[in-house]
Amino acid sequence: MANDAVMGEDQAMLEYLSAAQAVQSLLKQILSQVGGYALLLMTSKNSHLQPVEAIISAQKAVEQAMDDVRALRVPADAAHHYHHLKKAAQATCWTFAAADACRRAGADEVERDALARALRTATGHLRTTAGLLPGFELVDFGQACCAMHAQMANSERSA
Amino acid sequence: MTDYSIWVLEYAAVEKFPFSVMLYGPQHQGTRKLPYAYALLKGKGETILIDTGYDHVAFGKQLADSYGVSNYHGPREVLAECGVSPEDVTKVFITHAHFDHMGAIHLFPNAKFYLQKHELDQWLWALSLGQEFRFLSGGGDPADIARAVDAAREGRLELIDGDREDVLPGIDVHLAKDTHTYGSMYVTLRNDGERESSDKWIFAGDLIYTYDNLTGLDPDAPQIVPIGLAVGSQHNLIFSSVEMLKSVGGEVRRVIPVHEDRLKDTFPSRLTDAGLQVVEIALADGETSKVS
Repeated sequence: MANDAVMGEDQAMLEYLSAAQAVQSLLKQILSQVGGYALLLMTSKNSHLQPVEAIISAQKAVEQAMDDVRALRVPADAAHHYHHLKKAAQATCWTFAAADACRRAGADEVERDALARALRTATGHLRTTAGLLPGFELVDFGQACCAMHAQMANSERSA
Repeated sequence: MTDYSIWVLEYAAVEKFPFSVMLYGPQHQGTRKLPYAYALLKGKGETILIDTGYDHVAFGKQLADSYGVSNYHGPREVLAECGVSPEDVTKVFITHAHFDHMGAIHLFPNAKFYLQKHELDQWLWALSLGQEFRFLSGGGDPADIARAVDAAREGRLELIDGDREDVLPGIDVHLAKDTHTYGSMYVTLRNDGERESSDKWIFAGDLIYTYDNLTGLDPDAPQIVPIGLAVGSQHNLIFSSVEMLKSVGGEVRRVIPVHEDRLKDTFPSRLTDAGLQVVEIALADGETSKVS
């Protein structure tokens, strides 16, 4: 019986890891997009810069991400991780509202600060998720200089 | 007259890096050391970095355990070898938006940063394509973008749209479109201040990893061979290399690849107590050597 309970917990954790990784990956993509747009907003001479197509699609995707977060079944051992994932999703939603506010006529430092703060909050929570459970790294090192070395190191280890 | 001192400062390394990534094509031909480094330029009242390195707090353990990146040292310790602190840095040219080139913006609180607009525009586009296209946007960190936004909010980040001359005295930047990344940038220093300079240096970012990219491996039949990692094309990498070489009159050593371990043998250098190379490429008038 005890073994069954442990196996059940393991299975619940595995299911959480799989589902949460997909959510985190989507949030990472959305956050990069809205962050990039924020950078364009803050460096453009045109303060009324229209959202590019990528941002419009990201705004739709963030609603999906929120739904996915709510739908996660969270085992007790993943509660802390889930807390930060949910906070990251919420803060990512705020970034879109903050970016809209920055584009409005009369927007000033207050709006720009709010946007930067929302981005910092979202990335902070997302980064915390990366440190709590395996498989949630923020950077895909597959395209980094060290990528091929990793493949070689892994094959050496398994040989 | 020499306007700027130039050093290349190693801050970490991969000791055994597959040669086939450094040079497109030669599979199963062993490994080389791949230093991680940035260039420091000092002169004309400016302290300038080409790239920032990465954020060890975020990735250090992962890079060490999974990718074999060793001997990381932060910019405070690395720059001190040349008598500079991170707070002294006034300008930073970011050659491209990979984590190991723009991952430490927050460590240079007084610097102004320059990045190509095309890099950001196309990265946004690539991200919108969906997960199956993630190769096109890999190597980037959303936290780096958030920090870049902080710098921009403070008026410390400028997006450059293409080539621009004299961003700083004697310093030009060039867009190498759709190469290693969408908006890779290389930096030219005319170290005598002349438009038709006879003392020109080029900081290539990751457009080349080694001098071999500019010469090939057969001294009797030189050729340009691109690096093995691009979201753009090998064609564009080759022709950006041609452009860089032509700009320095074909003098290969004047195109600086910071990942090239042989820089230490090409220029005066020394090994620090931490086991990192300091390579001295030029000394401005009145500057003292940091390697002798």
